Amino acid sequence: MNRRTFYMFMSPSLLVMLMLMVFPLVTSVWLSMQFMTFRNINTPEFVGLANYLEVFGDRKFWQAFTFTMTFIAIAVPAQISVGFLIAVLLDQVSSRIRGIYIAAFLMPFIVVPVVGTLMVKQLFESGGIVAWAYRALLGTRFIFTEQSVKSLIIVHSLWAATPFPLIVFFAGLQTLPDELIEASMIDGATRLRQVRHIMIPHLRSLFVFVGLISIMDAYRVFDSVFVLTEQNPIYKAEVMMLYTFRTAMSVQRLGKANAMSVITVVMILVVLVPFLLRTYKEQTEER
Amino acid sequence: MRRIDNRYALTVIYALLTIYALFSVIPFFWTTIQSFKTPRQANSRVPLFIFEPTADNYTDLWLKTIPDDPLLVAAVLVAIFGLLAFAGMQARRFPFPRGYVYLGILAVGFAVLWSIPGYVRTQTFYDYFLNTIIVTFGTICISISIGCLAGYALARYSGIAGVVILVAALGFRSLPGMSYILPYWWFGQRSGLYDTHILLIITLVAINQPFTIWMLRSFFMNIPKEIEESAMVDGANRLTAFLSVIIPIMWPGIISTALFTLLLAYSDFLLVRILTQSNWTLTVAISKYAAGEDPGHITLAAAAAVSAAVPIIIVVFIFQSQLVKGLTSGAVKG
Repeated sequence: MNRRTFYMFMSPSLLVMLMLMVFPLVTSVWLSMQFMTFRNINTPEFVGLANYLEVFGDRKFWQAFTFTMTFIAIAVPAQISVGFLIAVLLDQVSSRIRGIYIAAFLMPFIVVPVVGTLMVKQLFESGGIVAWAYRALLGTRFIFTEQSVKSLIIVHSLWAATPFPLIVFFAGLQTLPDELIEASMIDGATRLRQVRHIMIPHLRSLFVFVGLISIMDAYRVFDSVFVLTEQNPIYKAEVMMLYTFRTAMSVQRLGKANAMSVITVVMILVVLVPFLLRTYKEQTEER
Repeated sequence: MRRIDNRYALTVIYALLTIYALFSVIPFFWTTIQSFKTPRQANSRVPLFIFEPTADNYTDLWLKTIPDDPLLVAAVLVAIFGLLAFAGMQARRFPFPRGYVYLGILAVGFAVLWSIPGYVRTQTFYDYFLNTIIVTFGTICISISIGCLAGYALARYSGIAGVVILVAALGFRSLPGMSYILPYWWFGQRSGLYDTHILLIITLVAINQPFTIWMLRSFFMNIPKEIEESAMVDGANRLTAFLSVIIPIMWPGIISTALFTLLLAYSDFLLVRILTQSNWTLTVAISKYAAGEDPGHITLAAAAAVSAAVPIIIVVFIFQSQLVKGLTSGAVKG
């Protein structure tokens, strides 16, 4: 295919991405230097870097940042290890039964995030089945507090996000040749050592890929926190995205919210750029 | 000897898998049960599993007044959609191309859905449902049309520009939606498109475009070049060859990508929440049921959650093989 035809075929999609992805990002940087509320959308006031200074001095911003980082540090390793464990176990089961298990495992992944969160929340409402078990076992009522809401956000993420590493690792294990396992059996390797010395090295690149995606998904978690906290600040469980959202929509400080979103983009790029460079190299070699 | 044959070990494996499967499905199971209870039953101290089910939550959610002959209305609807589904399954027996059959089914289905409020007094929840259909359907159509052209070009072009576009798209995809949506809000306010379907559709198309072109490209790469080359030797130009030879054999890939686009558009919460004021989709409408003081909100929230989940579960059930294929192939190839 020559260059001209390439751009002809590419142009509609390219136009959409330039107009609605590149241009908004530039606009966001510009908006972040304005003082803008819902009242002066058409006549913003240029304030330079004042919004950024305000964000860095904002106690609530750092609170949201700390919680987001804690969330990533707990949820992502948990999702990946549970996903890996279940994938290895699933690999042991006969293929006829696998289908049923996979269907069950995928349910939380496919359902709309807001709906899934509402469903998990139902278990903990008064009259809910987990709330009842909690009372029966511990003797006290389950109440929504700062600690319990934060734990609930993490449990929900384990429920909703684990299917992704699970399915990817399971698919990766299917590409592992049987001969490798058999050879190691003859050498007298135990099952545990097979996992450690054959399966994990075989899935290494997938671990990197899944880890990166999971970290970025955890960073931009919004829907579930929105539903579980009901936007109530007493739980102190705001994540970065929710705080940005509230700054823009409830507090109506659009410039400041855009400054936060620019800071977020910069932080994500730090993680992302090495991965993008690697993809670039791979794709140029493949070409 | 890949598999364990020790009986005790196998029992433990099955037990662990079953526990995890229960962990995955219990919220669905419990919410469905709650949605058929009265608020009193739903709030009882000990969870009730045996009770007299009531459909009140669903009728409260969807209807302003219950029609005089609810069974007749339900029977007519079931008959119409059953007939449409049957026509869809038998599409290859019609004396004209299958595409026309599917288009006809879609047209009739939409006409029926849109004429329902003329006969039955529905709640705003039904309007949100119709909004969801417009937005999801519009997004899929535009996104797949322009995505197919781009995905094909990226699969066949070997210049460096193709790689740059792909990597840039991956980068855009990885940024949080918030970074685009706040500027979209500002565009929307300035242009007067705020709270319209058009704004939702074009922004959803844009946000999903990187994913769409990556996925479609990987499907186009599996199609051998010789196919369109032979058509082009016969005198067709690139576009004709693409439309008449490549697209017809691409349907499995297109359906798979469309399914993921559907899931993304149907699920989107943040974008719709920020860019609309009253023209919500179901996802946003449902978040309103999350909080509430009166005891009835639990059962109503359960009914709303089940109502929004059912269409997706039906679609996924119909296309499940494409879904798993797309999930594993797309993900493993990275």
